[in-house]
Amino acid sequence: MRLSRRNRIPVNNIDKLPSGLYRPSFERDNCGFGLIAQMDGKASHWLVKTAIGSLGCLTHRGAIAPDGKTGDGCGLLFKKPDDFLRTLAQELGFTLADHYAVGMVFLHQDPSLADAARKQLEHQLDREGLTVAGWRRVPTDSSACGSEALKSLPVIEQIFVNAPEKSPLPPFVKGGGESSSPPLSKGERGGEIFDEASFQRHLYIARRRTEKAVKNDATFYIVSLSATVIAYKGLVMPANLPVFYPDLQDERFASALCVYHQRFSTNTWPQWRLAQPFRYLAHNGEINTIQGNRYWSMARSQKFATPLIPNMDDVRPLVSMTGSDSLSLDNMLEALLAGGVDLFHAMRLLIPPAWQNDKTLDPELRAFYEYNSMHMEPWDGPAGIVLSDGRYAVCAMDRNGLRPARYVITRDRHITLASETGVYDYAPGDVVAKGRLKPGQMIAADTQTGQLLLPDDIDNQLKARHPYRAWLKQYTKQLTAPENPAVEPDMDEAALFVQQKLFQVSFEERDQILRVLAESGQEAVGSMGDDTPMAVLSRQHRPLADYFRQQFAQVTNPPIDPLREAIVMSLNTCLGRERNLFDSDSTHAARLTIDSPVLSEGQFQQLLNLNDPDYAVQCIDLNYTGTGSLQAAVEQVCANAEAAVRSGKVIIVLSDRAITKESLAIPALLAVGAVHHRLIRLGLRCDANIVVETGTARDPHHFAVLIGYGATAVYPYLAYACLRDMVRTGEITGQDIAKVLANYRKGIDKGLYKIISKMGISTIASYRGAQLFEAVGLHDEVVDLCFTGTTSRLQGTNFADLEDDQRQLARLAWSPRKPLQQGGQLKYVHGGEYHCYNPDVVQTLQVAVKSGDYKTYLQFAELVNTRPIATLRDMLVLRDNIKPIAVDEVEPIEAILPRFDSAGMSLGALSPEAHEALAVAMNRLGGRSNSGEGGEDPRRYGTEKTSKIKQVAAGRFGVTPAYLINAEVLQIKIAQGAKPGEGGQLPGEKVNQMIAELRYARPGVSLISPPPHHDIYSIEDLAQLIFDLKQINPQALVSVKLVAEAGVGTVAAGVAKAYADLITISGYDGGTGASPLTSVKYAGSPWELGLTETHQTMRANDLRGRVRLQTDGGLKTGYDVIKAAILGAESFGFGTGPMVALGCKYLRICHLNTCATGVATQHDGLRKDHFIGLPEMVENYFKFVARETREWLAKLGVKTLAELIGRTDLLQAISGDTAKQQRLDLAPILSDAGVPKDKPQYCTQARNEPFDKGELAEQMVSDMLDAITHQRGGSFNYRVRNVNRSIGARLSGEIARRHGNQGMAGAPISVHLKGTAGQSFGVWNAGGLYMHLEGDANDYVGKGMAGGKLAIYPPRESHFKSNETAIIGNTCLYGATGGKLFAAGLAGERFAVRNSGSTAVVEGIGDHGCEYMTDGIVVVLGAAGLNFGAGMTGGFAFVLDLDNTFSERYNPELVDLHRIHTPGMEQHAAYLRNLIQDYVDETGSQWGQVILDDFATVADKFWLIKAKAAKLEHLLGAPRVSIHDLITPVYVAAASAAAAEVR
Amino acid sequence: MANNFQFLDIPRQDPNKTPADERIHQFKEIYGQFNPTAAGDQAGRCIACGNPYCEWKCPVHNYIPNWLKLIAEGRLFEAAELSHKTNSLPEVCGRVCPQDRLCEGACTLNDGFGAVTIGSIEKYITDEAVKQGWRPDMSGVVATGKRVAIIGAGPAGLGCADILTRNGVKAIVFDRYEEIGGLLTFGIPPFKLEKEVIKTRRRLMEEMGVEFVLNTNIGKDIPFQKLLAEYDAVFLGMGTYTYMKGNFPGEDLPGVYDALPYLISNVNRVLGLERRPADFIDMQGQRVMVLGGGDTAMDCNRTAIRQGAASVSCVYRRDEANMPGSRREVANAKEEGVQFVWNSQPVEIIGTDKVEGVKLVTTVLGPPDARGRRVPEIIPGSAEIIPADRVIIAFGFRPSPAAWLAEFNVQLDTQGRVQAPANGTFKHQTSNPKIFSGGDMVRGSDLVVTAVFEGREAAQGILDYLEV
Repeated sequence: MRLSRRNRIPVNNIDKLPSGLYRPSFERDNCGFGLIAQMDGKASHWLVKTAIGSLGCLTHRGAIAPDGKTGDGCGLLFKKPDDFLRTLAQELGFTLADHYAVGMVFLHQDPSLADAARKQLEHQLDREGLTVAGWRRVPTDSSACGSEALKSLPVIEQIFVNAPEKSPLPPFVKGGGESSSPPLSKGERGGEIFDEASFQRHLYIARRRTEKAVKNDATFYIVSLSATVIAYKGLVMPANLPVFYPDLQDERFASALCVYHQRFSTNTWPQWRLAQPFRYLAHNGEINTIQGNRYWSMARSQKFATPLIPNMDDVRPLVSMTGSDSLSLDNMLEALLAGGVDLFHAMRLLIPPAWQNDKTLDPELRAFYEYNSMHMEPWDGPAGIVLSDGRYAVCAMDRNGLRPARYVITRDRHITLASETGVYDYAPGDVVAKGRLKPGQMIAADTQTGQLLLPDDIDNQLKARHPYRAWLKQYTKQLTAPENPAVEPDMDEAALFVQQKLFQVSFEERDQILRVLAESGQEAVGSMGDDTPMAVLSRQHRPLADYFRQQFAQVTNPPIDPLREAIVMSLNTCLGRERNLFDSDSTHAARLTIDSPVLSEGQFQQLLNLNDPDYAVQCIDLNYTGTGSLQAAVEQVCANAEAAVRSGKVIIVLSDRAITKESLAIPALLAVGAVHHRLIRLGLRCDANIVVETGTARDPHHFAVLIGYGATAVYPYLAYACLRDMVRTGEITGQDIAKVLANYRKGIDKGLYKIISKMGISTIASYRGAQLFEAVGLHDEVVDLCFTGTTSRLQGTNFADLEDDQRQLARLAWSPRKPLQQGGQLKYVHGGEYHCYNPDVVQTLQVAVKSGDYKTYLQFAELVNTRPIATLRDMLVLRDNIKPIAVDEVEPIEAILPRFDSAGMSLGALSPEAHEALAVAMNRLGGRSNSGEGGEDPRRYGTEKTSKIKQVAAGRFGVTPAYLINAEVLQIKIAQGAKPGEGGQLPGEKVNQMIAELRYARPGVSLISPPPHHDIYSIEDLAQLIFDLKQINPQALVSVKLVAEAGVGTVAAGVAKAYADLITISGYDGGTGASPLTSVKYAGSPWELGLTETHQTMRANDLRGRVRLQTDGGLKTGYDVIKAAILGAESFGFGTGPMVALGCKYLRICHLNTCATGVATQHDGLRKDHFIGLPEMVENYFKFVARETREWLAKLGVKTLAELIGRTDLLQAISGDTAKQQRLDLAPILSDAGVPKDKPQYCTQARNEPFDKGELAEQMVSDMLDAITHQRGGSFNYRVRNVNRSIGARLSGEIARRHGNQGMAGAPISVHLKGTAGQSFGVWNAGGLYMHLEGDANDYVGKGMAGGKLAIYPPRESHFKSNETAIIGNTCLYGATGGKLFAAGLAGERFAVRNSGSTAVVEGIGDHGCEYMTDGIVVVLGAAGLNFGAGMTGGFAFVLDLDNTFSERYNPELVDLHRIHTPGMEQHAAYLRNLIQDYVDETGSQWGQVILDDFATVADKFWLIKAKAAKLEHLLGAPRVSIHDLITPVYVAAASAAAAEVR
Repeated sequence: MANNFQFLDIPRQDPNKTPADERIHQFKEIYGQFNPTAAGDQAGRCIACGNPYCEWKCPVHNYIPNWLKLIAEGRLFEAAELSHKTNSLPEVCGRVCPQDRLCEGACTLNDGFGAVTIGSIEKYITDEAVKQGWRPDMSGVVATGKRVAIIGAGPAGLGCADILTRNGVKAIVFDRYEEIGGLLTFGIPPFKLEKEVIKTRRRLMEEMGVEFVLNTNIGKDIPFQKLLAEYDAVFLGMGTYTYMKGNFPGEDLPGVYDALPYLISNVNRVLGLERRPADFIDMQGQRVMVLGGGDTAMDCNRTAIRQGAASVSCVYRRDEANMPGSRREVANAKEEGVQFVWNSQPVEIIGTDKVEGVKLVTTVLGPPDARGRRVPEIIPGSAEIIPADRVIIAFGFRPSPAAWLAEFNVQLDTQGRVQAPANGTFKHQTSNPKIFSGGDMVRGSDLVVTAVFEGREAAQGILDYLEV
C-alpha cells in the first residue's frame, strides 16, 4: 500500500483511508493560545483556575467534532506544581529526592503494550543513572469525553523520577556552548551544586531512546518529562479539561506559570498526542516552511555536535518528520536547548524577525541575525508562540505579525498573554499595563527574578554575546559581479538552435515570456485559464517542471503580498559549508553571499574562479551516453556528487550545457532532487551547495522547482543566450544587453517572490528544499529517487518515458530540418498542444446558443466529450454494462438547473452588460449567478438582475451590510483556480465612474486586491468570518471557494468545521481577468483530484452531510456534470462556458480592456457596439447542458442527479493512448476510501449552524428590533466579554434589511457597552448604529463598517496611559466604507487596511497601517509601525511623529508626506484639529486633550500622508457620494426560503 | 509601447486600389502596395487573440498574428522568414486567396471592426523583403544527395520543391508549359496576379537550388518510367483540367467557350507567349454572358471587361450570399461594370449557328442539402431568354488523370482523383510507394493555398520516406 510506505506514521488513524487521495501529512491546525504567570514565581491554585477559565474563553477558536463534545484538543503546561506533586508522592508512598522530575505519559489501553512501554522508559531512565520513584495512575473522568475522543482514549499515568545524589554522568558538563546564556536554574543542595540542565538533558536522552525503542504502539506518548514543567492535555473542550483531570480542580494544585492552548484541527481525527502544549511550547498558526525545515533538520543533524550529548545518535532524528508542524518546531527547540543553546537564542534562530530590509534595525542586532542565518533557515509562517521552561514565560511572534497576542499586567504582578484580550475578569482598576506583541517580537517574564524582559531587553542581550558584526566583516564574502556583457560571448547560432530545440524553447516562449521579462523586468500577464492538458496527459513532450504544481496557502495560512509587503521578503542566499550550530566563533561567519539565487553571467564566472578551498568547485556533466538508462545516469551523478563532497568540494555545479549529438541530457531537475536527497541521507548535504547551470530554467517556475528541490543557485545560460540572440536579431530593441539581462533577472526575482509568498514564505532560505509542489502524473520510481516525500498520487510518467522524451527531443534538436517549435502552450497553434477551448469548440457553442438548436449543441458536446484525452476525467468513462431507463423517468431539467451556478466574475472584469445578462439568465433558470468581487449596483437588488451569490473576496470591494443582506449565498473566495494564492490589481484606466462608485473608490485610481484576506490567516479566523457573515445575514448560506491542491480535502474538512454551508473546489483550469502567465500555468491541481479528495475526506470525517460541495473549472457539457457528480459534487459552477455563450471568443485579452466582444471590457464603444450577448443565449446553454445531463442520467439508469453523487462504481478508467497515460493509476480517484456506504454522499442538512449561538447578540436584537423597525432611536446598555463576538452585526443586518446602509442614520441607536468585546466588534456597522465601549476590543473592530460610529475608551478607573496601551486588535476597519471609529489607545497591525471611506482616530498603530487604502481619513495620535501606506491609492492620514522616525517607516512607493504647519495648509490643520476635538468629545481621551491644548506647537509634528496620485487641494473637497448610500436596497424576501432548499 | 486600441483607433484600410475606370483598360494588378507605415499600422490592429482564428482557418496555418506583430514592429526580414515557415508562396496567396472566406473572414475584428488586412500584409512582406534583398536562408542546408522529380510546376509542385530543397533534397520540377506556376501563371489573370511575381518566385527558387525543366510533357517527351528509375521519388502535382459542363442544349454552339482556354489565351497574349493570333479569344464589342459564380467566373468577367466587351453579365443560380467566389472579387467585378444575374439558372443556349442568347429560369433557394448548401429550386414558368453574343462556361474542373498512371499502380478513386492520403504512414504517398501526390489531382479542384499545403505536406512524407 503506497500510502503507508510513504508515510510511516505510528498513528491509529492511519488506516482510516486505505486508498484514495487523503494523506495524513495534509493535516493542519490553528488555534487559540495564551499564558499566565505570576512574575515573582508565587504559585497559586487561583492561577490554575484562571488559566483554565481563560482557555474556556478561547473555545470559539477551537473546533468541535460532530459528537458535540470532542474538541480538537486543548492543554495546559505548568511550572511544576511542586507542593502538589510532593503531596501526591507522599500519599502514594514514593520517596522523592530533592531533585525530581515528573513525566506525563499516555499508555496503550492494552495492558501488555502499556507495560512494555513502561518497562522501556524505566530501562532508559536507568541507563541515564536516574531512578524511578513510582508510577501514578492519573485520575480521569471519561464522561468529559465525546465518543470520538473515547475511541482513542489512552491510559494516563505519571512517572516520578529522582535525580541521583551525585551527577550520574562523569563528567557532567556545566553550561552550554554559550557561557553568557542566562543560566538555567541551579539548585543549591547541601553545598553541592546541582546542575538542573544536566538532569533535563538526561531525561531528554532517556525519552528519545524510549520513543525510538517503543515501536508498534501508536498510543504511547510522553506528554512531558521534565524537572521543571508538566503538561495536562486531552481531546476535550476547555470547559471539560478540569472535569477530565480532577487534579486540576484540586486546591493543592498550585503553579506560578501556565501556558495554555486550544486546537482547531482541519479534520475530525484529532489525536490525543497532538493536543498542545508540547514539551516547551504551544503554537498558534502554521509553519509554512515546515517541509523544508524538516528536511534541513535531517540534513543538518550530522552537523550538530555537542559534548553535552555524548552520543547524538541517541536522540537523532531530532525532528519528527510527521505529526504537526508545531510538534516538529517543539522538537527542534528541545534539541537546541539540550545542545546548550539558551531559550532566547534558540527562538531567535528559529523565528527571526524580518531583519534584511528593515532600515531602522540596529546594525549590531542585524549582524546577530545575519550571522545566524546561515545555520538555520527561518521556521516561518503565521506563528504566535507561547512557551515555558518552568522559569521563563515567553511569547514570540512571527515576522509578519499574523497572529494576535495581547497581554495584560495586573497590580498583583500577574501577566496574562493570549490570542485575545479579556480572557479573564481582572478589575479594570488593577491593570498596570496592556499591550500587544508586534511582528517579530519576543517578550518574557522571568519568574525567578521577577523581571519582565521586553523585546529590546532580549535583543540587546543577544546581540552583545559576540562581536558578530566584526566577524561578519572579516569572514563574509560577497558575490557581486557587475553586469559585464563581455563575460559570456554570444552562443554560436547553430549551437543555439540545437540548444533551443533540445530544451524546448519555442518561438512563443521567446516572444511571450523571455522578451517580456527582458523588456519590462516583470512577468508576462495574460487572461483566461489554462485549457491545455496536464503534462502526463499531453501528447507533446513536456518539460519535467510541468509536472509540478505549485502549492499555495489557503485558509490555514495566508499568502503574503510580496510587492506591498516586500519589507519581509528576501532572496538572500549563502554559499559555503555549514558549521556546528552549537559552537559560536568567528569562523562561523564565513560564507559567500549573493542577493539572489539567480546567478548573472559574471557571478557564475566569479564563482567558478574563486580558487578558495572553502568554495572548491566540482562540475558534473548531466549529459550521458544514450546507451545507459536515465535512472542509472541519475544515480551516477549522485555518486559523483557524493564523491566530490567527500573529497572536500563545496560547490557542486550540475551542468547540462555540454550537449552532444551522441548523448542525452538528464533533466536538471531530476539531478538536483536526486543529489539533494542523496546528500541529505548521507549527512553530507550541509557540506555542499548545489548550483545548476541549465538550459531548462527560463521562467520563474523553472527556477522555483530547482530551488524547491534543493538548488542553492541557478545559472540559466540558455535563457541568457536566447536574450542575447534576441538583441542581436532586433527582437528586443532599445536596451543594451546588460540592461536586458538585468531586467530578466529582476523579473525572475519578482516571480520567485510571488511563488514563495503564495505559500506564505518570506525567504528563499526557507523555500529551498521545501518541495512545495504536488507532482501530478509522476511515477513512484521517479518520485522516490529524486523527489522523495513529494505528494504524487496517480503514478504516470516513469524514467523510461522521460528518457524517451529526451531521445525524441534530441532527434529533433540535432535534425537541421526540424524548425524551432512555434509554441502552442499559451495559445492555440495548429499542430501544437491541445486546447479545450479551441476555435472549433468556441464557434460551435456560439452557433448553438444563438440558434437555440439542440442538435448543434450536441455537435459541440461531441467535440468536447470525444476530444483527445486532455483532462483526467477524459480517462474516466461510463461503464457500458448499465441498464438504461427512459428519459421520461429522469427528473426534469427544472430539477437539474438549480444545481448550476455561474462562477464568480466581477463587474470590472466583465462589462455591466455581460454581468447583468448572466444574472438575468441564472435567475430565470433558477440557478445562481455570482457577483464576483466588485460590489453590485444596488439598483439591481430585488430585480432579476441581482446576483444571488454575493462574493466576499480579499479586496472587500463594495461589501456593505446591504450587499450582504441581498444574497442567498455569501461566498468567501479564498482562491481562484487561475492564480491561487495571489492578489490582483484593477488598473486605474479600467476604474471608470461606475466601477469606482461600486467599489467605493475614485475613478482612475488603481485598485489592489491583497493576496490574503487580512482577516483570515488561519482556520479559526475563517470560522470567525463565517460567524460574522451569519450574524449579519442569518438567512444566507455561507460558501467557501477553495482551489484544488494536495490537501484541499483536509482544508475543506476544517472549513466544514468552521460552519460553512457550501464548499466550492475549483480546478487549476479556471479563468481569470488578469494573471501572470506562470500562475495560470503552474498553480492549482485538477478538480478531479481536489473534489475527490474532498469528498473522500469529508465522508471519512462524518462531515459530508453537513455541507454542499460544488466544483468548477473547465466544465462544459452534461457529460462533465455527470462525472463531477459521480466524483462527489452536488452543484456545478460554470465560468467560461456562459461567457462564450455571451459572445466571448476566448481572446485572452481581458486584462487589456480591449475585449472586442464587449464581454470583458469597460470600454464604452466596445460595450455598446460590439456586445451581442443576451440572457437567452446563456439560458439556452444551460438548458442544453441540463438536457444532455438528463439524457446521460437515463443512460445510467439513474432517476435523479442526487442519486448519482459518489457513484464511482459507474465509472471506469480507460487505459489511455500514450505510454504515459497508460501508466496512470486512477484507482485512488475512483476509490470510496474505505468509508462505509451508508455514510452520506451529499449534504443532508439545511444549514451548518455554528456552535456559538450568539446569545448576547440575539438579546440585543430582541431589545432593539422595535426601535430599528420604527427608526425610533434609543439608548441601551450591556456588558460584554471576549466570547461575545461580532457584536453589532446582527443589529446592522436588521437595519440594512429595513433601511439600507444609511437609511437609519437620522435616527441613531446608541448602545453602551462595558468590558472586553470579542472579535469583529462593529463588523459591517450600518448607518445609525452608535456603539460606545468602555473597555477594550479584539481584532477586526469596524471591519466592513459602512456607517454609524464606534467609540472605544479605557475604563474610567484605569491607571495606564491610553497612548501607551493597546485597546483594539489587528486588522481593524478592513474594507470599511464609511462611519467613524474613535479608539482611545493603540491599535494593532494593518489598521484601516483596504479602508475605503471610514474616518478613524487612534493613538498609535502597528505595522502596515492604511495598507491598500482607497479612501477615508485616518488620524494616528502617536507612532505608526513599519510599512505605513503600502499600496495606498486614496484617502489620507495624519500621523503624529514625535520622535521624527516616521519618514523611515512609511512605504514611499505610492504615498507622499506633507507638513501641516506650513503656509497653505491651514485648512488641513484646522480639519485635523476638529477631528481630534470630536475624538476627545467621544472618548474623553486625555492624550487627545493634551494635543488639543498645545495644538499650535504639536501641529508641526504631524505628517499628512496622501496618495501621490491625489491632489493636496482636493483632499478636503466634497466627500465621495456612493450609490450604495443613496439607494435603499430592496431585500429579497424569497431568499431565505430558497436558500434553505437542499441543493 | 503598442497601442492596444489600435484596432479601434485606426480603421481597416486596404492598399490603394486603382479606380475602376482606369483599371478596366489594363491588365495590371489593381491593388497597390502598403508603405512600411501603413503596413505597420494595419498589422498593429491585430489583437493577438488567444484563439488565433485566422491561423486556424488558414489552410496552411500561417502564423499570422506572429508575423503581423513583426510587421507592426518593423521587422520585415523576420516576418518574411516566419511567413515562409508555413507557406511556400505567401506573396501569391496574399494576392489570390479568398481571404474574406478564410483568415480575414475568421478574424475576430471582422465582427464590426473590419478584419485585419491579412492578405495585403502577407503580400507586402515577401514583395518588400525580396525587394530589400532578403533571400530564404539556406545556410544550414546540407545536401543529402537525394533527388526527387516533381511533375507540375503549379502550387503543389512548388510547395513540394520548396520543402525538399530546404532539407537538402534536390528537386527537379517538370512542366509542360514554358513558364512555372501552372494555373497561377496561365489561369489567373494578371490583374489579380502579375506574372512578374511568379518570375521572381522562380528566381528565388532557382537560387535555392530548385531545377525547372519546362516545356516538357511527361509521358510524351520523357517517359514516366525514366523518372521513376532515375529519381529517389516522384511527386505528382498536375492539377485538374477537365472542364465541367452544363449539360444543356447549345453548349457546342460557336461563341461558347470554356473558361480556362479563354483565360489562357488572354494571358498568352498579355505575356507575349501567343503562338498564333487565331488562338486569342477576343470579347471586344461583344455582349458576354459568363455562367458560374466562382472565382474563375469572376476572372472571366473581368477579363472580358478589359477586352472591351459591350456588356458582361454573370449568371449564377444561387443568390449573392451563397456564391462560392470571393466577395472581394465580386465587388471588384461590379465596380468594373459586370452585371450580376442572381438566382438564375441557364437551361439552354439559344442560337442557330452561333450564340444568340441564353434561356434562364429563376430559382429560389430551398433547404440545405447534406453538405449544408442550400439547393436552388426552379420556379416553374419563369423562363426567359437573355440575348448574348458570347457565353463563357465557368462551372469548375474535374480531375484529368494521365492515362499512364494506371501502369504504375497509382490508384484513383471513383471520381478520378489520385489516392494519396494525408494521414498515411508517409504523408501523401500513393499506392506506389515511390510516388507521392498532392493538390488538385488528389483533392479535386480547390484553392491555391490548399495545393501549396499539400505539396509541402507531401514533401514531409517524401523526406520521411527517404529517411532524411
